[in-house]
Amino acid sequence: MGTTTSIKQGIAVIHKDQAWIIVSTQFVNPGKGSAFTRAKLKNLKTGQTNEVTYKSGEAVETVDVQNRKCQYLYNDSTNYFFMENDTFEQFSLEVEALGNAPKLLKEGTECYAMYIDNNPVSIQLPPKMDFLVTSADPGVKGDSATGATKDCIIETGLTVKVPLFVKEGDIIKIGTEDLAYVSKAN
Amino acid sequence: MIYNKETAELRSKLTQKIRDFFNKNDFIEVETPIMTPIPGMEPHLTPFETKFTPPDGKIQTLYLNTSPELQMKKLLGAGFKNIYNLTKVFRNGEVGGGRHNPEFTMLEWYRTKANYLDLMKDCENLVIHLSGKKIIKYDHREINLEKPWDKKSIHELFMQYCRIDLLKNKDLKTFSKTAKTRGTNISGCKDWDDIFFKIFLNEIEPFLGMKKPIFVYDYPVSQAALAKRKDKESFWAERFELYIGGNEIANAYSELLDSGEQKERLLEEQKLRKKLGKTAFDIDEEFLTSLESIPTSAAGIALGIDRLFMVLLNKNHIEDVLLFPLTNLLKI
Repeated sequence: MGTTTSIKQGIAVIHKDQAWIIVSTQFVNPGKGSAFTRAKLKNLKTGQTNEVTYKSGEAVETVDVQNRKCQYLYNDSTNYFFMENDTFEQFSLEVEALGNAPKLLKEGTECYAMYIDNNPVSIQLPPKMDFLVTSADPGVKGDSATGATKDCIIETGLTVKVPLFVKEGDIIKIGTEDLAYVSKAN
Repeated sequence: MIYNKETAELRSKLTQKIRDFFNKNDFIEVETPIMTPIPGMEPHLTPFETKFTPPDGKIQTLYLNTSPELQMKKLLGAGFKNIYNLTKVFRNGEVGGGRHNPEFTMLEWYRTKANYLDLMKDCENLVIHLSGKKIIKYDHREINLEKPWDKKSIHELFMQYCRIDLLKNKDLKTFSKTAKTRGTNISGCKDWDDIFFKIFLNEIEPFLGMKKPIFVYDYPVSQAALAKRKDKESFWAERFELYIGGNEIANAYSELLDSGEQKERLLEEQKLRKKLGKTAFDIDEEFLTSLESIPTSAAGIALGIDRLFMVLLNKNHIEDVLLFPLTNLLKI
């Protein structure tokens, strides 16, 4: 336990007597007032999300979290199984604690597992990840009625909006927070 | 990078409809400069600075406007009656979270012989004219645009959502005590307004305008430096904000035309800027003089066009309605 005055993505805080991870932060300026930070919190036990607005400089109770590298192995209907890289120890997390991750996990995906008091509570994906496009409609140039995007499906089965030039077999970068196309991978 | 042509086309049409609306209602469109030697004094805004180098080499600092407000009121003082302006404005440091881009499009309009209630009617009529529908879908919700929209004063909202009577909490000491007693963490709050916003942003704002747009009106004078007081000794000023689907869309007020009181309030803000370690700008004397020439009453409003378009086009992030958001240009 400790306290912090800088609210940022990735730290774990106590809110209403429970431990929450800060998933994202948003700058808020009410115009006639000083700046605030609106944080999206995810409950580390239930996966429930909540928004809390902090004044910059506000003292907030934090939870000590260790991050350990791990990789995703497989899942059944309710649990996702991972292995910690250093110890080869396996652990599982319920789907509720994983947020968007199940839509992006593929066998062998490397990520960080968060531990509180040596118990794994959640995982964190890198902000952007590369995926193979497994199917994409051919884009028609000059088709203004549909705008400059089309749907494609990536290797995990997720459908993503992409620019017309993306084709089957391409590798693309996707933002893991909003599940949106970022760019073509080199 | 995705340049969404469909959204750009819809934006173009909406902008055209805004001009149609104001032209039909006998407004004239005016253009104000982007750069100015004296920007607005708002204590919590940070204008971008640039340097002007004339042929004689005497470099002068210019600022990118955070709002065209001072220029618009100078025009009212010069005898203009109903005016509007679609312009880019700039606010340094404001980025991220899908609601802010450091440069954005502002629609400002001013009416003479009018007060803030007249501007509420304009808002209703304008948004209905733009959407062409009675019910719009935004962020998985239906928002009903039928007139009249909801109206709640700040005093009512604090009573309703938090059971706090602001009139019994007018000083910092009492307000701090009230906040602490109910368990609000005010460790980062430096003044009365900070505590106000800590409560407002957490417990009131996220719920505003979810089923119907709402006008939140009558703000503490400390948050309305250029607005008219409700009456002489009142704690409240005639200012309102429009919220649609939890988004703050517009800020308006009955204009303060008493140049003496206006000067005092600007001096207060100047002092606060110094205290916050920000550049304390000069007071625009021409602005003060022009207030005296505005013959009767006047009211003005600033409406964030990008946020309004987000609501009308059902987009969750400001970046979705901009072709070149700064977050993409700077890869942040």
